[in-house]
Amino acid sequence: MDVNAFLDGFGLVTEPQNLLYCLIGVLIGMLIGVLPGLGPAATIAILLPITYSIDPVSAIIMLAGIYYGAQYGGTITSVLLRLPGEASSVVTVFDGFALAKQGRAGTALGIAAIGSFIGATVSILGLTLVAPLIAGWALSFGDPEYAALALLGVLLVATIGNGNKLKAMLAAAFGLLLATIGRDSFSGAERFTFGSLQLTEGIDFVVVAMGLFGVGEILYNLEERHGKPHVPAAVANIWPSRKDLKQSSGAIGRGSLIGFVLGVLPGGGAVMSSLAAYATEKRIAKNPERFGRGAIEGVAAPETANNAAATSSFIPLLTLGIPANASMAMLFGALLILGISPGPQLVEERPDLFWGVINSMYIGNLILLVLSIPLVGIFVRILRVRPAILAPITALITILGVYTINNSTFDIFVMIVFGLIGYLMKKVGFEPGPMVLAFVLGSIVEDGVRRSMLIFDGDPTGFFTRPISGTILAAFVLVALWPAAKALLARRNAATVAAPAERDHADTPSR
Amino acid sequence: MTILIGYVPTPVGEAALEAGLAEAAARGDDVVIVNSPRRGATVDADLVDEAAAAKLVARAEAAGVSARVDHTTHGADVVETFDALAAETGARLIVIGLRRRSPVGKALLGSDAQRILLDAGVPVLAVKPTA
Amino acid sequence: MSDERTPTPEPGQDILAEIQAEVAHDLEEDRPPAGGPAYQVAGALVALVVGIGGAVLSYGYGLGSLRQPGPGLWPFVVSIAIALMAAALLVVGRSLTDSEKFTRSSVLPAVGLVTFIVLALLMPVIGFELPSLLLCVVWLRFLGGESWRSTIITSVVTVAAFYFLFLYGLRIPLPHLF
Repeated sequence: MDVNAFLDGFGLVTEPQNLLYCLIGVLIGMLIGVLPGLGPAATIAILLPITYSIDPVSAIIMLAGIYYGAQYGGTITSVLLRLPGEASSVVTVFDGFALAKQGRAGTALGIAAIGSFIGATVSILGLTLVAPLIAGWALSFGDPEYAALALLGVLLVATIGNGNKLKAMLAAAFGLLLATIGRDSFSGAERFTFGSLQLTEGIDFVVVAMGLFGVGEILYNLEERHGKPHVPAAVANIWPSRKDLKQSSGAIGRGSLIGFVLGVLPGGGAVMSSLAAYATEKRIAKNPERFGRGAIEGVAAPETANNAAATSSFIPLLTLGIPANASMAMLFGALLILGISPGPQLVEERPDLFWGVINSMYIGNLILLVLSIPLVGIFVRILRVRPAILAPITALITILGVYTINNSTFDIFVMIVFGLIGYLMKKVGFEPGPMVLAFVLGSIVEDGVRRSMLIFDGDPTGFFTRPISGTILAAFVLVALWPAAKALLARRNAATVAAPAERDHADTPSR
Repeated sequence: MTILIGYVPTPVGEAALEAGLAEAAARGDDVVIVNSPRRGATVDADLVDEAAAAKLVARAEAAGVSARVDHTTHGADVVETFDALAAETGARLIVIGLRRRSPVGKALLGSDAQRILLDAGVPVLAVKPTA
Repeated sequence: MSDERTPTPEPGQDILAEIQAEVAHDLEEDRPPAGGPAYQVAGALVALVVGIGGAVLSYGYGLGSLRQPGPGLWPFVVSIAIALMAAALLVVGRSLTDSEKFTRSSVLPAVGLVTFIVLALLMPVIGFELPSLLLCVVWLRFLGGESWRSTIITSVVTVAAFYFLFLYGLRIPLPHLF
């Protein structure tokens, strides 16, 4: 590791301007984490145009702050209102709200803040040490490896997310197809342009992302789906007692590790790791029946893990150029806008950016720890602002923002079209996430495959005979077939327990 | 007959509740305590939770009045909620609390109490907090 | 949690799946009714059309050979994959419950979409201020059910804030009337 570059990175982060953007990013992140509706990916998408007008490093620092800040904000509503602000805080609801009902909301929030900070810091340390090594190793990757890796990334994101796997893969394939619109970089032939001059350059990633995530979610939220208003729980004594800390120390330690490891995996990320950490704690607990009734570990583990994962999911992006989830795909897009193609060369070519972003996370998490607790009251107050008032503001930010990219109304219309597609996808049960991710990676996969075919002289088995790409593709096949294998296994299991299960169904009133 | 009492967990709401319960006890009326949150809000500080609602009902019973708490949401105009409830329960009286508002505050935010006073279809008893 | 009585055949066997089911069940409560098979079939059919159409078009761009891939080969492969998966979805996906029914409140997003289009059409002609104001008023009063008073105040403040933010704060030249 280049210690000088690392220290320079710190120097860069502590510049007042960057500190300010870090603070803004973290605050926005917490805010949208608290507010139901827009997720971090949508928020980053909506704010992407800002990267055109401010300094690249500051922009990425801010957008990164939004992502990990949101992980914390989601906790607050999970605990106080039984209303997960973010998907990664859904399991926190079980024990967090139970604690709040016992009048220990403050304890739950405090332990979540401490766990989040420890998990994130452990993860950044891991990131600091591991990322340069992976980048160095990945420098030897050729086109076949990249094609295989990008394909694996797309597949993992599609299959690990929640929801139907087939639909997610379909959405991903759609993204790959979308990426081919425009002039083919090899032959110069125009594809799927339908004679439109504006489409020859291909569709701008930012416009697609703002449409699918931004406009799509805004429209989706317009539909009246708000439930009953909630009564805010009172928050008293934030600081967890020594006993609470001791009780959750194991959970925080394991959560950090689980989060770090799962965060690195494409598709893993915060949601998956919070589930896994909660499950682990429940499994090894002496009396697992406490879980769901206010076990402090049930808050500590998932909250630690989701922040650790949010941090470590930067590793594949910064070292391989493969975004691990939808939010990382947005950051990938932001980097592309700035003319930086993320990959193993990043640490050598742009050490300022590489270390600037990583080190900003140390500072950002410190800010989160310091701010989150005192601001809880303010965030609860912000929840009183009706979503109806915020909706037109986000809508205007989105439309005016997308216009400023190229000063083009054509972009607004493209965005609206993708907004409609995103909305309809959600209604019919397709997640737009895999589609955006595949769209980002589409040209990497295609170019990689085509250059590889030239290298292999037209022999596709070449992918399997190279050790690294072979391994990656073997993993690909495993992941692709896993759901089918699991379904088959489950069916066999179900056959053996069918009799008692049937009786159980009989006395369950159908909803 | 029935009395509607507009209730929020503040001194103003308390005053309305006191007066409404006294009125109901004197005339042998039933009481519907209206605690109506704004529709579409994620969090409403004026909303009372189940435990607090149960306490309100207990208080009414201690005064010898049978009561229930209604949480119907209201949109931009709270008068509609009161009118609908009054029609539904056949209420003869609405009891609400009043507080002093500066003219500027009234112009900017409007006054739910004033709208109920002027627009409600049944007689309205307006109460001021004692303190 | 309401799922406490759920029998666990082999404790600890797959707690993760169990929790996932619990979470899904929890989120289920707030969701509008599922759309049913018609929605699933429609979704799969659209995907099938995209797949087949993409395959036909990319075939026209020239597939080339494996040694010399033409511009159409990759989109052709992807389109075929889409078509195959869509066909599979048509068969196995009918009973999925992840869609959402279009209800009367689905008119709201439709109106929202129209205001987006109107804004995009009017902005180059008369600047962004009045169309933005219009969008705010429609969203607050008619889509959000706000009172006129709150609508007017919020709209004017919002548009004014955007005016100063974009034109003076960020110095981005939006088309403007004033």
